Amino acid sequence: MSTDPLTADPALKGPASPAADKQAMAGRARRFGALHQAERTLRSMRAYGTVIIFSSVSQPIMYILAMGLGLGVLVGEGGDFAEYGASSYLMYIAPAILASTVAMAAGIEFTFPVMEGFKWRRLYYGAQASPLSPGQIASGHILAVSVRFGIHAAVFTVVLYLFGAISSPLGVLMIVSAMLGGLAIGLPIMAYVSTLRDEKGQMSLIQRFVIMPLFLFSGTFYPLTNLPGFLQVLGWFSPIWHANELGRLLAFGQPTPAWLIVVHVLYLLGITVTAWLVTVRIFTRRLGLEEWRGRTPGAKADARRQDRLAVKDASDVARSAAAETAPASRGELPRISFRRGFGANYYSGNIRAVFGRGLTAIRNNRGVIFLSGLLEPVLFLTSFGLGISPMIAGVDAEQVGLSGGGTISYAAFIAPALLAVSAMNGAIFDSTWNVFFKLKITKLYRTMMSTSLGPVDVAVGEICLALFRGGLYALGFLGVLLVGGLVDPLAAVLMWFTALFVALGFASVGMAVTSFMTRFQQMDWMMMVLMPMFLFSATLFPISVYPVGVQAFIQALPLWHAVELMRDIAFWDFSGLTLVHIGYYLVMIVAGLALTTYRMKKLFLR
Amino acid sequence: MPVEHAIRATGLTKRYGDFTAVDGIDFTVNRGESFGLLGPNGAGKSTTMRMIAAVASRSAGTMSVAGLDPEKNGPEVRARLGVIPQQDNLDEELSVRENIIMYGRYFGLPRRWLSAKTEELLEFAQLTHKATSRVEDLSGGMKRRLTIARALVNEPEILLLDEPTTGLDPQARHILWDRLFRLRESGTTLVLTTHHMDEAEQLCERLIVVDEGRIMAEGSPAGLIRDHSTREVLELRFGMDRNQEQAQQLTTLLGSPGPASSNDPVSSNGSATAGRDVGFSHVEVLPDRLLVYAGSAESALEQIHAAGLRPMTSLVRRSSLEDVFLRLTGRTLVD
Ligand SMILES: Nc1ncnc2c1ncn2[C@@H]1O[C@H](COP(=O)(O)OP(=O)(O)OP(=O)(O)O)[C@@H](O)[C@H]1O
Ligand SMILES: [Mg+2]
Repeated sequence: MSTDPLTADPALKGPASPAADKQAMAGRARRFGALHQAERTLRSMRAYGTVIIFSSVSQPIMYILAMGLGLGVLVGEGGDFAEYGASSYLMYIAPAILASTVAMAAGIEFTFPVMEGFKWRRLYYGAQASPLSPGQIASGHILAVSVRFGIHAAVFTVVLYLFGAISSPLGVLMIVSAMLGGLAIGLPIMAYVSTLRDEKGQMSLIQRFVIMPLFLFSGTFYPLTNLPGFLQVLGWFSPIWHANELGRLLAFGQPTPAWLIVVHVLYLLGITVTAWLVTVRIFTRRLGLEEWRGRTPGAKADARRQDRLAVKDASDVARSAAAETAPASRGELPRISFRRGFGANYYSGNIRAVFGRGLTAIRNNRGVIFLSGLLEPVLFLTSFGLGISPMIAGVDAEQVGLSGGGTISYAAFIAPALLAVSAMNGAIFDSTWNVFFKLKITKLYRTMMSTSLGPVDVAVGEICLALFRGGLYALGFLGVLLVGGLVDPLAAVLMWFTALFVALGFASVGMAVTSFMTRFQQMDWMMMVLMPMFLFSATLFPISVYPVGVQAFIQALPLWHAVELMRDIAFWDFSGLTLVHIGYYLVMIVAGLALTTYRMKKLFLR
Repeated sequence: MPVEHAIRATGLTKRYGDFTAVDGIDFTVNRGESFGLLGPNGAGKSTTMRMIAAVASRSAGTMSVAGLDPEKNGPEVRARLGVIPQQDNLDEELSVRENIIMYGRYFGLPRRWLSAKTEELLEFAQLTHKATSRVEDLSGGMKRRLTIARALVNEPEILLLDEPTTGLDPQARHILWDRLFRLRESGTTLVLTTHHMDEAEQLCERLIVVDEGRIMAEGSPAGLIRDHSTREVLELRFGMDRNQEQAQQLTTLLGSPGPASSNDPVSSNGSATAGRDVGFSHVEVLPDRLLVYAGSAESALEQIHAAGLRPMTSLVRRSSLEDVFLRLTGRTLVD
């Protein structure tokens, strides 16, 4: 960082020539470039500023109400947090939730925008043309994201204070530990993403295989020691755990040996600094003179796939040669069949083609992405089942509205609910995000609509595909439950069908909702509705912990019905309410499909 | 009952909010004919195509495609159409071959038949060696060829081509033209838009020129040239800044016989009574050159030289469709 002699000399600094001015400009950029880049990034974040602020305020409230108070009632009966220095379960988890939400934000801010900068919108190449150095571009992004973390953490902390979840004024320092945790988890990811030339599902793999497991196994909702030894090791490596523990120390003075404090701080700082330097290096390689274009992930897998296809090809050709069917003898064009009569303008009777296209696309994509959907419920079950169970004697059967009395294990209590949640998530994702993507970005539906397919063929085909995927995931999860002895086989079979039924309900409503969507930001808002629904719908604790008014509200939501229906089957305890749940979904399916059909033109003919 | 016309539109209108993209146009495309839609950017060509293809609704007017209303019998109409949209929308999640097969599957065609047909189409598009590649690995022109090949999978009665040759190299373009000729011979109706006037002259038996959603002219390429342009054109370059002022001068010189001959002391040639002999029509100002429309460009050039004007370059050529296009849709500065 030597001073530029030209700009340092005041005699040359005057407005005499514009060239001298440019020198000054360049010099300034050289010194404060990272700040310029940070400002630019922050400005672009303003576009979704409302979403950021809204989630900073609503997330703590949501978690306080759901986990702190809801799960806290269950835990409070058996657990005692005085030994950790906290006076309630809420107080115990508050710092960890802050650190975890920052880590989640890191999983977003250090992946998509970086990919966008290099590939999708090539913003970094634009910045490269200015006097900024590649390192400054990287650091600028990191600084901007840190600011966003800071804002989030500050708002979060204020809300926690208001709810009395923090008592010590030192708790303010949690902001720092949380930010550090966010950087320690985010920067290695940023370094990895910045080596990528192309995105082939890596972003969702990072979410599902890195962020999610780290979040679930970092002792956020329970002390890490509750987990069996081998899972504890996972926690030790997780920056989130270190940030959690530091936060707890600051917020309520959790007794911690001095050496461990040093380990926490050094671990987080070490990762942050190392990853920062590595990121700067990679940016310099890509944007500097070397102009390295990055790795193409999955290139080998792709080559293998092409080889496979080519082999299949060769055998096809050989076979047709053997049968002596020259291409010319394929014969006349077969009749193109389509339905006539009622609704022929909308439905041509060829759902199979749409479904077949989906299967081919799944097969062409990397299998690991497909399978990753299976992982989520299993991770949740492992984390909560193993981690929370030691703090809870069991769930009172009567408390959760099951007849027969006695208590049931916590794992058995949440397992059916997690199946319902996974059915919901899969169906919603497929029917909203995926449909919107194919509508707006890949324009797949436009292609389909220029053939003899009708909109109903497309809609039903896509719903079938969502159900197929959901059905596979449910099958996998139920397999895990069977092995774990959490359900019996007969119930499992029924639950599998129920998962499809529930998924159908969400998919048909989701598609109807998608027909009203015009922008991607609206998707964000929808996700914000789903998260609380997951937390409150009797998934992780019975709703009897809430006042009657709140209970009634929750009972009006679809997920509650799905969860209860699954539980009725899992514990083989049917009542009149079971019929109500089924009825609720029947109405959802019929209403959703009707609205979807009505909005069909808006949905596929834009 | 066989219908004479392949497509008939009356009062065809498309509005996007307050904006009228297609403003009440009428046209008929006969069976087996090749029909062109010309017009500047934003004229409403693609919108018209999309209404024919039953993927956009009409705001007003009637339309019949193969005797059916595309809005009432969408799938049935589209089953007879082959659509090549302006923007390639290939399926990036499928391989090149799968793109064609799946597209055929959307028409409900059996796999067995499709596998042979697909090889044929790959051959046609010269993509056989790329059959197993991902679509994103293709070059722009290859993608275009794949889009074209894909649209032929259902052996359509009517082929809608929206700027089919954009992005193709000359060789591929000629192959496509040849293929389109052959399709027409076998009775396929072609409807195409293009910005290449040579292509329109080559391929279209009849065409309409649209501008701002309205039909400006209709006819065969030769007929349009006859009606809307002079026989010959003189292209002159005077250098960037001088084109405009020279246009004024040329108009005065060639347009009115009076001053032209009186101001013409060197005119020893008595028969050079300008205007009528030259067959002058008008001057078109393009950013880089002037187009002088005249029945005899040679005599016009002689007169210009005689008047002491010294263009940097000059070129005499026959009128083409491009001149008609400029005349009808360009903003004529000097007339
Ligand atoms: N979905 C839409 N919403 C609003 N306006 C539209 C839409 N589609 C087209 N337009 C407008 O309609 C007009 C005609 O568009 P169209 O695509 O038909 O033009 P075009 O003749 O095909 O032009 P080009 O030669 O550039 O392809 C344009 O002004 C365009 O902006
Ligand atoms: Mg167009």
